[in-house]
Amino acid sequence: MRYAILLLDAPYTSQAAHSALRFTRALLAKGHVVDGVFFYHDGVHNAARLAAPPQDEPHLVDAWAELAREHDVPLQVCIAAALRRGLLDEQEAARHGKQGCSVEPPFELTGLGQLVDLGLRCDRLITFGP
Amino acid sequence: MQDDTRQGDLLVILRHAPHGSSWLKEGLDVALVAAAFDRRVTLLFMGEGITALLEGQQAGPLGQKGTAPTLAMLEMYDIDSLLVEKRGMESLGLSDEQFMLPVQGVDADRIAELLASHALVLNF
Amino acid sequence: MLLHTLNRSPLSPVLDQALAGMGPEDRLLLIEDGVLGALPAQQARYASVAGRVYALHEDLASRGLLALCDEAVRVVDIEGFVALTEECERTVSWY
Repeated sequence: MRYAILLLDAPYTSQAAHSALRFTRALLAKGHVVDGVFFYHDGVHNAARLAAPPQDEPHLVDAWAELAREHDVPLQVCIAAALRRGLLDEQEAARHGKQGCSVEPPFELTGLGQLVDLGLRCDRLITFGP
Repeated sequence: MQDDTRQGDLLVILRHAPHGSSWLKEGLDVALVAAAFDRRVTLLFMGEGITALLEGQQAGPLGQKGTAPTLAMLEMYDIDSLLVEKRGMESLGLSDEQFMLPVQGVDADRIAELLASHALVLNF
Repeated sequence: MLLHTLNRSPLSPVLDQALAGMGPEDRLLLIEDGVLGALPAQQARYASVAGRVYALHEDLASRGLLALCDEAVRVVDIEGFVALTEECERTVSWY
């Protein structure tokens, strides 16, 4: 089946990001297609390029990026939610006159319409909230 | 392909009050975007979310816009299916005369039916 | 038949919201802090959905609740979670 994942909280703050990652990996292991992981609300913090958790803790930002690279899973970050929380890619940083950027590929800033599209074209959409 | 036996494409459940968090606004934004792309959208206000409908809301003291202006735009987006959990209304002691938009009250049985009859359900 | 996930304990008002949304065949999967609802003392709260309540093994285990889990609650692992989402036509998440 084709699955979509909606993630609504930041890594570490609650278990949402951990559960989403566990579930997504289990889906892929079973042979399902994950058409996209959509990050909304505080979920956009999962795209934080500069996240530096302690060595003995799971690195969730890296884990999502690895999932994207190894299984071709699109990582779609709601641009409006991201911008107001200081998560800008190179393009948005330049547009807003900011030095440096806080989001990089494979995370992609995208419009909220992509969430609706993803949800309606997939067989299943599973939400993980705080 | 549109399945007309379905009640609607998207059901957005709104469970949070205005101003106190961003959930209400973020849920409404999804509803509006879906409607802008011609999807049939139903809104279900539950619990604290019911207060989103109250007349007389204002901007916050730091200039936070709140969600009343967005609700005022729902008709323009053809979102006219506004449902309110009856039990929540009773426990908050509110009646629909106090609301800024026309709504329809629903009980628990109806809520379960709504969840089953929309292609996509998003809970905020 | 729908699947509802709930990540809040029965001490949270969200449980009642989830129960309000559940149809007669729907299933309830307790995850994260929701697995506190597997405690025997709390089973009366889930009376309306008895026999249709599941709890995620790894969340019970990490919280030291595996041995305390009520018999009526069906424990599933992460593959079981996936299977539930396959079997049910839609999943609604309550948080």
